[in-house]
Parts: sequence; C-alpha cells; structure tokens
Amino acid sequence: MAHRMTRTLALAAGLAWMAAAVEATDVKTLTKELFAVPSTTGNEDMLAAKIRGLLPKGVAVEEDGLGTIAVRFGGAPGPILILAALDGYGHIVSGITPEGYLTLDRPVPPPHARFDAFLLGQPVVISTARGPVQGVIAQPALHLLTQERRRTLVEGFSLENAYVDIAVRSEKEARAKGIEILDAVTYPAVLTELAGEHWAGPVLGLKAAASGLIAVTESLAGRSGGEEVIIAWAAQTKFMARGRGARPAVGAMRAKTKWQPKRTIVIDVISAGKGDGFPFPGGGPVLIRSKDEPSALRKAVEAAAAAVGAPLQLVTAPDAPMALPFGGPDAEAVTLALPVRFLHTPSEVVAIQDLKALRDILERFLQTGGGK
Amino acid sequence: MNRSHKVIILGALAWLAAVSPAGAQSKAWDILREIVLVPGVSGHEGPVADFLRSRLPAGLKSERDAMNNVWFTVGSGRPHLLFVAHSDELGWVVDSITPDGRVRVKSGGGILPQTVEARPVRIHTGRGDVSGIVSPRPGYDERTPPDEAQEAPFTADRFEIYLGVATEADARALGVAEGDTVTAKKFLTDFAPGLMATRAVDDRAGCAALLDAALRLRPETIKGRTITFAWDVQEETGLSGAAELAKTLKPDYVFAIDTFVSTDSPLESKRLAHLPVGKGAVLRAIDSSNITPKTQILKALAIARKRGIPVQVGNSRGGNDGSVFLAGGAVDIPLSWPGSYAHSLIEKIDRRDLEALTNLILALVSDWK
Repeated sequence: MAHRMTRTLALAAGLAWMAAAVEATDVKTLTKELFAVPSTTGNEDMLAAKIRGLLPKGVAVEEDGLGTIAVRFGGAPGPILILAALDGYGHIVSGITPEGYLTLDRPVPPPHARFDAFLLGQPVVISTARGPVQGVIAQPALHLLTQERRRTLVEGFSLENAYVDIAVRSEKEARAKGIEILDAVTYPAVLTELAGEHWAGPVLGLKAAASGLIAVTESLAGRSGGEEVIIAWAAQTKFMARGRGARPAVGAMRAKTKWQPKRTIVIDVISAGKGDGFPFPGGGPVLIRSKDEPSALRKAVEAAAAAVGAPLQLVTAPDAPMALPFGGPDAEAVTLALPVRFLHTPSEVVAIQDLKALRDILERFLQTGGGK
Repeated sequence: MNRSHKVIILGALAWLAAVSPAGAQSKAWDILREIVLVPGVSGHEGPVADFLRSRLPAGLKSERDAMNNVWFTVGSGRPHLLFVAHSDELGWVVDSITPDGRVRVKSGGGILPQTVEARPVRIHTGRGDVSGIVSPRPGYDERTPPDEAQEAPFTADRFEIYLGVATEADARALGVAEGDTVTAKKFLTDFAPGLMATRAVDDRAGCAALLDAALRLRPETIKGRTITFAWDVQEETGLSGAAELAKTLKPDYVFAIDTFVSTDSPLESKRLAHLPVGKGAVLRAIDSSNITPKTQILKALAIARKRGIPVQVGNSRGGNDGSVFLAGGAVDIPLSWPGSYAHSLIEKIDRRDLEALTNLILALVSDWK
C-alpha cells in the first residue's frame, strides 16, 4: 500500500514537473515565433496576424483601424485591461535611387541618439508585400578609408548616408523584387542564446512581452465568472500624440478611449540599470510606480508575485507614454516591465526567467480577481 | 572551319582534359558557404586547415606545417607556379575577464569596431563555442548625441563582451579563457541564388576557389611544369604564413588569390577599383604591396579570353601574400573577384565571379608559360 502511494506520489510529481516543463517550453516557443516576425510602427500587420494565429482557438479577436488587436474574456463589467505593444522601433524604405539602392527613414523619432548608427554595415530584411528581401547597409571599405571619410561615413554615419544594397542595378530591378516605399526595414531575426537562459536579439524585449500575454490568454480560455478582462496588443505605441504637455502614445490613448478600463496593467520594457531600482535581467519583472504611494492595484500585483514566488523589482519613474492615458481619479494603472539589457540595440538581452515570472504573476493576478 | 577555329577548339579540349574529367561542375560556391563558417582567426587557423585537408583528394599528398600552412605540389620542372590563398580571418583574442564576467579582447581586429557594437560574437573555447554580445558603449541610449570630441573612440580595447553571467568564475566555468579567439557571429545574406554577403569572404572565397580547382585538377596531365597550391596563414597580421612558405618554395610565378577591394558600392568614389560584382574574376594589377608588370597582366588576360572566362583588370588597395615571394625572384600576379565592403560583416560576392576565378586558376595551370 505504502509502496503504491509512493509510486502514485512520484507519478503525480513527475506529471506536475512535466506540465511545468511543457509550460516553460511554450513561453520560449511563443517568443521565438514572435521574434521571427518584424513589426515597426505603422507596419504591425504581420505581427498582429502571427499573434492571432497563436491565440487559443475560439476566442474572438477585436481589431481597430490602426492595427491594435485584443481579446475579451467575459465577466462582470470592469474591465481590466492588460496592454502590451505591438510595434518596435525600426526603419522604412523612403526612396529608391536610380542605381537600385534604398534610402531610409524612420516612422517615429529614434529612442536614442545612436539608434541609426547601429545600422552601419549590417544585414537587414525588407518586408515587402511579396515577402522578405535581404539586403545590407553599405559601409565604406576599410582599405579605402581616409581620416576624412572615417569622420563623415563612420563616426558621422546617419540616415543621410545609409543605403540599403539589395544587389540590383536599377530602381526597376528593385521594384521587380517587390520593394515599395514604406516597406519595413529591420535586422534579421537572429537569436543568440547566452548563458543562464539569457536571450539576445533585435526587438526581443517587445516580442517577449507580447508572447507573455499570449500565454496569459491560454490560461484565461474557458474561464467563467470574474471581471471582464481585455488582453490587448496595441499598434503605434512608439508614436506620440501631438499637442502641448505630456504626450501619450497614440495606441495607448486609443485603447483608453475604446475600453475605458478601471484597472490597467501596461506591459512594457525597461532598460537594465536605469532608474532608482537599477533593474537587471534575471532579477524579475519590474513594477514601475509613478509615485511612491500604495494602491490597490499595486498591492494586488505584489501579492500575485509573492503568491507565485516571483521576484519583483521596483522602480519609481514618471509614467511612460504607454501608461500616460490610464491614470485618473477613478482608474488605476501600473506598469509591469521586462528588464532588458542593451535596450533598443540590435541585441536586446532578456532573461527567460523574467518572462516566465511575468506570465505567472499575470495569471495569478487574474485568477484572484484582478485586484478588485 | 578555319585554322584559328581549330586552334581554339583543340585548346579548349586540351584544357578540359587537364582540369577535370568530363567537365566536372564547379563546387566552389558550396565550398565557400561551408568554409566561410569555419573559425580561423589569424594564428588560430587549425580548424580551416583540418577542413581543407579533409576535402583534398586523397591522391594529392598535402603537407601541413606547424603554423597550419597547407600545400601540395604536383608536376616537375620549370616554370614553378604557386597559387596561394590565405586561410585566416579577422577577429580578436581574449585578453582578460573582468570581475563581473565580461570578456575583454586585445586591440586590433581589422573590422570597424562600430559594426560589432551591440552585436553577437562567438568565443571559440577549448570546450566549444560560447556566445556573447559586444556591449554598446556606455551612455549609448542617451537622448542627445554625445560630444564626439569628448568621447573616446570605440575601439576593440574598449569591448566588453557580455555572456549572460555576472562573475568571472561563471565566465570561466563556460570554458572562456585568455587566448581564446573571438569572431563576429556570421550571418549569410542571400540577395538571390548565387549572390550573398557575409563575414570572412576575404579570403575564404580564395580558399574555396583554390580547393575547387584542386578537386578538378588532373595532376597526371601536368607536364613540364611544377604546380603548387597553398593555403597559408596569418596574412591579415603581416603575411607571416607566406613568409614561412617562402623559405622553402621558390616559385617563378605566384598567383595570390585574395579580395579585390571594389568600389562597387554607393559610398565609394568610382575614381579607382570600380569593378562591378558579377562581371567576372579580377586580375589585381596594382595594390599596396605589388605592381604586376602590364605584360604579365596582358598574358593572363589573353589566356582567360581564349577560354571565354570573364575577367576584369583593376587597381586597388590592400596587400597580398604573393608580394612576399618577390624577393625570391617570383613575379606576383594576384587573382581575385570584385569584393564590395571588404573587411566587414557584409562582404559581398557573386557565384559567377567565384566560378570564373576557379576557371581562371585552372586555365593558368594549363596554359601559363
């Protein structure tokens, strides 16, 4: 009898471990799936389509005219909104020279001063309506580099002298490959796996955060009761509304208008080592507070983290453009961010354990009433 | 059929007999796509030497010295023709590991440091490859550009390679140690079938062309001449491998096979070196290390034309291994392909140029007098 019980317990433990392992594999697989798909502001359609395809079968997907997609899980009016970004920083084709080289522009201002400089001498992918086209950003040959050319073409590299070479000889040949103005230009999705389950790649933080939300929708599928939950991936979060004063992200502003959430968790990314908490990948998701005052929502997130044994890093910082629209006298919002090393470079580094913790915290938060 | 037609046809038949059974297809492109991925930073070319020797026909008795130069010789008598390509590539060597587990490298490298900033690299350790990221310069993410005058240049000795660990002990536990070599992670950009860009085309394209020529060579047909094919080391750091070979090899003619730094690019002046990618192999008449007499260039050109091999002639910059043999009395006639973006992560090459280069090598083996 004791022997049978021991075997049963061992089997149960084994199954639990296997279930956990399968879950862990899934969040990594989801990240890899999204990582392979380019998405820049105004060109979010491919990533949106990929996310749609990965959502649990049977869930209805809402979409707005800018490309934001969302899924709604019914319940009592609320709603709770969990919002991640769909668009990353990148470039677009702005012209084709008579020799067939492509010129570049950005749909939105760069996140930092060196953003364009990282393009020099790199492979890129142009996402055309007819499929991806591979190219490289021209660089001067080292053997022919004079001090003057080094100063202007290397140290002073900018979009003014950035040309994409797709190995054609004319504009006509470029167009024959499917190239059109506004096509997104991004780095190839080359994933680098570092020690300690740290992954690196272009726009990886955004893709990891977005994949975390897909995992959450899986846990909500078939849910009955509780408060209404909307999981959304917003387009145009890098584009700020025009006007005086604080400028919210357009995608977030529209989400606020559309869903009027009472409680919002913005899923974002934060640069490692920045802010008063000096967050780092592997230290857990980062709870960003705009002011150091407790709120019911913040306490609920902290409680969910404690309940699943996930570490939480704390940073006090002004609301980012993604979070700006959601504050107010009768609404609560917090930002939960993945700490990313080398943010907005071609090699953003993310710790997989942070992503798993983010997923676990959100699932627990929603299971326990969403902080109501 | 007139006499000149007969001569051309007979010549072509003789050439085919000399170089390959039944006109064997060139495998240079496939070889290049493999060999370009084999690590071999200058002074650490062992894996490339292994690759080459594993692919050389068993009948060709190749030699390998302590430096990892590899070569074989067939035929006998004069003239002695040496064809040489270098097997080393640009890269770095681990200098130290910081207390927080970052890897520092020795200065140098030969690649614009900016192009590997925040990019993946591979550290080739005794226990296998370890991935890392070259940390971007501190303050890279400021909203305003730093004052360039105040900022120290971003050079290899400022690299800090992040491995995903936080301590020196953890970095060492991965197998990383001083003296390991580091290369940029290679990515093959396929513009179209037979047209690509990647790191280390310089000079793995030369290695591939020479290996392909070796595979198509019929040594028994080589009479009244000596032919040596060599893959030498440490070209990028001072032609040291060639210098070692020059102690024992005394060729009359040396055909160094290396990149022609082409200005076929939107950023370069077209004043010189404007030989387009895709228009054929190259006779690199003048570079920074050698001036080939024009008479020799015309002689090589005539052989190529006779065979219908597309060849371009140009002058550019950079050095070549053949120049080491000048002092010993050889004439250096560098062979090449037009290479845009030399010494970068995106060295561009066209299959047609590579195959023309292989055919040119075989034509010279057969016809050079």
